[in-house]
Amino acid sequence: MEHASWTVAVLEAILVFLILYKIFSARRGKGLYIRKIPGLSAIDEAVGRAAEMGRPMMFSPGLYGLSLPTLQALSILQHITRIAAKYRTRVIVPTADSVVYSIAEEISKDAYNSEGRPEQFNAEDIRYLSDDQFAYASGCVGILTRDKIASNFMFGTFFAESLILAETGHHVGAMQVAGTPSITQIPFFITACDYTIIGDEFYAASAYLSREPTLLGSLVGQDYAKAVLIFTIVAGVAIASLFGIDHSWLKLFSPS
Amino acid sequence: MFTGWLLKPGAPLYLWILGVLGDFLLMGGILFFVLQMIPGRNRKTLVAIITFLAGLIYSVEFFVPPPKGTDKNFLTDFAQTTVPEVVQVLSAFALGLGIYSLLRFHGRNLARKRAGWHNSLALYVAFATLALAGFWQLIRPGDASGNTFDMLFRSMVAAPGATMFSVIAFYIVSAAYRAFRIRSAEATLMLAAAFVVMLGLVPVGEFFTSWLPANGFWSLFHLEKISYWILDEPNMAAWRGISFGIEIGALAMALRTWLSLERGSFFEREL
Repeated sequence: MEHASWTVAVLEAILVFLILYKIFSARRGKGLYIRKIPGLSAIDEAVGRAAEMGRPMMFSPGLYGLSLPTLQALSILQHITRIAAKYRTRVIVPTADSVVYSIAEEISKDAYNSEGRPEQFNAEDIRYLSDDQFAYASGCVGILTRDKIASNFMFGTFFAESLILAETGHHVGAMQVAGTPSITQIPFFITACDYTIIGDEFYAASAYLSREPTLLGSLVGQDYAKAVLIFTIVAGVAIASLFGIDHSWLKLFSPS
Repeated sequence: MFTGWLLKPGAPLYLWILGVLGDFLLMGGILFFVLQMIPGRNRKTLVAIITFLAGLIYSVEFFVPPPKGTDKNFLTDFAQTTVPEVVQVLSAFALGLGIYSLLRFHGRNLARKRAGWHNSLALYVAFATLALAGFWQLIRPGDASGNTFDMLFRSMVAAPGATMFSVIAFYIVSAAYRAFRIRSAEATLMLAAAFVVMLGLVPVGEFFTSWLPANGFWSLFHLEKISYWILDEPNMAAWRGISFGIEIGALAMALRTWLSLERGSFFEREL
């Protein structure tokens, strides 16, 4: 396993400090601004569309087990399920991991309970399909086609099956909103989906949808952290350009 | 745990199975009893403490430098071996729950003869066949059982997977046909870049510019060189920029989850 050099430790400490500082200052009531993210704003529109058409929605939390992208996807699932409970619309959640299946079931149940609609929760809508990549994709394609999905949400870690899901959703006429930290799959989602959430917008989703001060503060802290990284890169490029790539300052910042 | 102390190596397999089940029931019972004793309002605090301690293992392992000449510190073996084993055991329990849910759903489809019930029947037949073949190979390893399992795996699992994978090629054509349109300046630029990159990666693209000299200034206009330049320079810059944002976002989320600051799905109130 890799271990941190002192450079990495200092940089991590700075980034962590910035994020935690903004979280705690946001908790003290400081109002924070977040720009509009069209893909996340479209979630409500997609749920409304499914309600008007009287057809169910599908939410795919990706292929990985319990990981950061999947946790984020599950928090988006909770938001979608709450809106679906208000509009009395079904959300079918096919999962590729049994641990994620258990958590998705609990999240869905809690979401319906919190909206005062526990009778709407249908355990059969949360399904464990398979942890095999293309068996999962086949199952999702079957759900999209047979259940005539009106809105298709794909959030989480995806691989080659992303295009299969997105194209099938397009063929059945579903409104599609996708978000993934898997950079290689973003082009496929952009071509086939109506709205795509790129890069760190995916991790901003929970802050954007809930507007919780803690999460908004964390988002602002991330922006500060990115500014520190950009400054480090610019400083490194300037030093390398002016003094050469073997300068001692650059070796000081070497990660090894 | 207790099974390891009580049973000697070489004891019959059924005693080991009974011992492990007994261990599970005993430890599970003690844990359940302890959890019931904890007041409801403190359970989330307990979860937060356990989460923090679990994350602390990996944080300390990463930041504590290993002794000179080695790449392991005092926590590396624990983090690399023991923790993944515990996670694997927990995942195995969840797998049982997932399989139960799958079979229950398809069993209801069969019982009520819902639309598409024949697909549920196919699932049951395939599940039973492959499971029996696997157990046969486990209990009576040999050529017959091994060949049967291999044949079933290749035909029922690998072949359909390869089929689904190859369908992607046609989906790419369908998606590209819709995406690469001259709608705006940016779309035209994207179309041109995609055209150059795709052409530069196939032999016919190399053939089109093969008449250019191999060295010198004009060699830069070989299609394959332009193609790789687009992939290695502007595309890679965008890729890395997006990666920075993603990794910082992941860091922030990991921090919130570790310190139980995550709001929404997992903690609906302040701790």
